[in-house]
Amino acid sequence: MINCERVQESISRLLDGELSPPQSASLQEHLSSCPQCSESRRQLEKIQSTLKEVLNAQASELEFTPFWRGIQDKINRQRVWYQDYLDWGRSVFSVQRVAWGVPVVIILVLGLLSIDFLLPDWRFGNSRNSFVSVDSIDTHGHNVALLREDETKTTVIWLYQDREGDNETADETVTTGPAF
Amino acid sequence: MESTDWELVQQCQAGTMSAFQELVSRYQQKVFMVILGLLRNREDALEVAQETFFRAYRKIGSFQGGSSFYTWLYRIAVNMAIDAQRRQKRNPLDFRESMDGVLEAQNEVARDPFADIQDKELRENLVKAINELTPEHKAVIVLRTIEGLAYKEISEILGCSEGTVMSRLHYARKKLQEKLRAFL
Repeated sequence: MINCERVQESISRLLDGELSPPQSASLQEHLSSCPQCSESRRQLEKIQSTLKEVLNAQASELEFTPFWRGIQDKINRQRVWYQDYLDWGRSVFSVQRVAWGVPVVIILVLGLLSIDFLLPDWRFGNSRNSFVSVDSIDTHGHNVALLREDETKTTVIWLYQDREGDNETADETVTTGPAF
Repeated sequence: MESTDWELVQQCQAGTMSAFQELVSRYQQKVFMVILGLLRNREDALEVAQETFFRAYRKIGSFQGGSSFYTWLYRIAVNMAIDAQRRQKRNPLDFRESMDGVLEAQNEVARDPFADIQDKELRENLVKAINELTPEHKAVIVLRTIEGLAYKEISEILGCSEGTVMSRLHYARKKLQEKLRAFL
């Protein structure tokens, strides 16, 4: 014997198509023999169809053009001067592309960092063939100048005093070999 | 051949505005209906519907296609409508007045889409009864009625379980039935 109170819950699920075929068949059988539950189902269907019609009628009044214009206005108000660049960047640097780009960049950086180890004789042009430094070593105008030349592995150190009218070079020391 | 929602979303993500316009065209009425079902006032519903699409436009870059586009869009719409309803300070009769105005205007131009609806009282009281439901109960009724969404889809939109959707629907229908029994 099906309990009519419990059936009310099932009617709701029946209307929504959420009952299994056996449950649905069992409920239909009860509805055909129970005027009270059958009436309840009719009322729920009426509520559902009326609400749909009311809302449909309201929505059918909605015109696309002014509706879309309102959205466009909001979009345009929000767009800042760099938005076009952001859009371009978003399309170029999509997630899929960045996903490939990140390991490629990491490999390139690691390659550059290890190039000294892999190719010890290779250098970027002449910039790393020599090293020059000039420093003041006290307050009496004594200076030290250092030159390191990688090609011939020569290091030159000058010690000189910075006095007007005197010879600039006070001492000169030359060492050869991998001093550093 | 008509593009799928997902194809249009991908075009939007690449910056194609016309693709977004097409999505708005497809869903404007349904989104408006959902929001109107939750709010009392037609003008408010219109504003919130436009705001929903504007937010969707801003967030579409983060949409990954894990759920269907309309589920995602309805989630935005429902959240915005519930927020708007909580902020709403207007007269509760606004929506009824607005609705009556529309019905009268339709009668005047002899293109009443409600010609097959016999009982005007039922419509008026239905709107009133719907407005007396909580936003959560209103949301399940509206989503189920308008789009015929399955419990699973409604649960995804509202962020609750299917069991909760089922019990809310049952409760909401019971309340409407009690209040409208005299007009049914």
